[in-house]
Amino acid sequence: MSKPPEDLKTPVYVEIDEDQCTGCVLCMKACPTKAIRVKDGRVARIEGICIDCGECVRTCTKGAIKATAPKGDDFTTSPDLVISPPTVLYSQFGEDYLPNDILLGLRKMGFGYVHDQSYTSEMCNFAVELYIKENRKKPNLLFPLISPACPVVVRLISFRFPSLLKHIPPLATPREIVAREAKKRLSAKNECSPEEIGVLHITPCPALADFAKQSVSQGDSPPMDKAVGINSIYESLKKNLQEIDDDMVLHHSSGIGIGWGMSGGEIAGMNRNCLAVSGLHEVIHYLEKIEMGLLQEVDYIECRICAEGCLGGPFTVADKYQAKHHLQKLVRMFGVERRIKYNYVIKLYKNGWFFTERDRTAFKDVASPLSIPDRIERLNRVQETLQLLPGKECGVCGSPDCPTFAEDVVDGKATLEDCIFFHNRKRKTSTRASR
Amino acid sequence: MALLQRSFEIEARDFVRAGEASIEVQRILKTIGFDSERIRRASICAYESEMNVVMHGGDGEILLTLDPEKIILDVKDHGPGIEDVELALQEGYSTASLEDREMGFGAGMGLPNIKKNADSLEIHSDKVTGVHLKIVINVKEG
Repeated sequence: MSKPPEDLKTPVYVEIDEDQCTGCVLCMKACPTKAIRVKDGRVARIEGICIDCGECVRTCTKGAIKATAPKGDDFTTSPDLVISPPTVLYSQFGEDYLPNDILLGLRKMGFGYVHDQSYTSEMCNFAVELYIKENRKKPNLLFPLISPACPVVVRLISFRFPSLLKHIPPLATPREIVAREAKKRLSAKNECSPEEIGVLHITPCPALADFAKQSVSQGDSPPMDKAVGINSIYESLKKNLQEIDDDMVLHHSSGIGIGWGMSGGEIAGMNRNCLAVSGLHEVIHYLEKIEMGLLQEVDYIECRICAEGCLGGPFTVADKYQAKHHLQKLVRMFGVERRIKYNYVIKLYKNGWFFTERDRTAFKDVASPLSIPDRIERLNRVQETLQLLPGKECGVCGSPDCPTFAEDVVDGKATLEDCIFFHNRKRKTSTRASR
Repeated sequence: MALLQRSFEIEARDFVRAGEASIEVQRILKTIGFDSERIRRASICAYESEMNVVMHGGDGEILLTLDPEKIILDVKDHGPGIEDVELALQEGYSTASLEDREMGFGAGMGLPNIKKNADSLEIHSDKVTGVHLKIVINVKEG
């Protein structure tokens, strides 16, 4: 389950600092769901549906919009806490540290149970292949399948492309599986229920923080899980990396698992017809194509909202292109042959190990209260209003563009006089009349 | 009684802009908020018929009409018409040129796909006036 529809309007992970906001229109224009308005107060406000894509954070030149970590999730290191770092963490510290060093560094920080995701990623990589093979011939399954890994893509689909929800396979992501398994194992060892085990997710983005937490607890009991951005642990981990005195082997994957978090990484090991698309606008464009019935010959599409995939997440520290370069080196170093026991993975797959029962349809039908004829009537009025506007798309009115302004006017959220061109034109005519 | 009518021009052989009319149709239906399954079916019909016009039809247009019960797509072109409508409705039958196929089009799935996704499809073809497809998708509220 994701956030219920009524909560959609509350942006949980984006904060606008009113003192630093100058009321420019950059974020408003960047927002893919047209949720931001810059009205009278000259300060940007989020009024519509926010999908936590982080585009406004990236666009703001004043540093006024920040992605915030979930509140109350200040972490403390604890030997009883399971920690699960994403594979992109391996790209953040340059070439002096290999994945195993980074996992040891986390242990040095005081986390008792450090669970690598890259090995599970390799298993998932094969599981997706199995899923495709099993389902390619079924008549009712829709292709291309769309990767469930990026939570913002899933939200974007449920909000703007609900017909494509059926393209998302019911497969769990590596981080979900790692958390699930860690809980299972540790609870057996400690003789407690899995719900009592807490997992600390280190994440490259705010949306993932929310998602990672919700995914593991499908039951009624409140999740023990917490999430923290890569940037929040970065300095401490960097310091601890220099003091590693342990030689445990915690990392087992090949380059396939290591590269999982970069754009193209999820599909890199797959022997199928796959595509990787990254960046908000590209993703939207491809979803539009899929909705028109295109790309059916493609088996699987990896969509990531951030350019360059999770390497471009708002909580990452290293420059995404440098991080990518470093990750590519690691991929070469560790090789591109999956280090998994294939028969064992097939067995796990048959036992449902890779699947999730998560309901991905939570946003479906955030229905308008109007009847269809009324909605059509509204659209006609929007069109009439649009004819009156200059089409300069300047945003001075406080709405992102002329079509959205026309909608705001029709919905009573703005008046025509808010448009500077309309205002001027009206003044000119009235001056002329008075002469 | 038409509640809304919009027309979109399609230019022959313009593969760069091909598909844009359908995306517009899709966006309008989305703004109104039809259910996603109908939007998907209408978009597929719009896209396939738009590509037919781009490939075979000379210039043409998509006319989107909404009435309380139906989404109607009238796709008209000034091309040479369809020689054998029965054949054209068979999957895999195509008269597309090699050039079109090299671009990945002309797999012979266009009309069959429209037929599959529309609630009703009328095909009027004439060597002089061209092809007129009338595609209807029923709208049931609720």
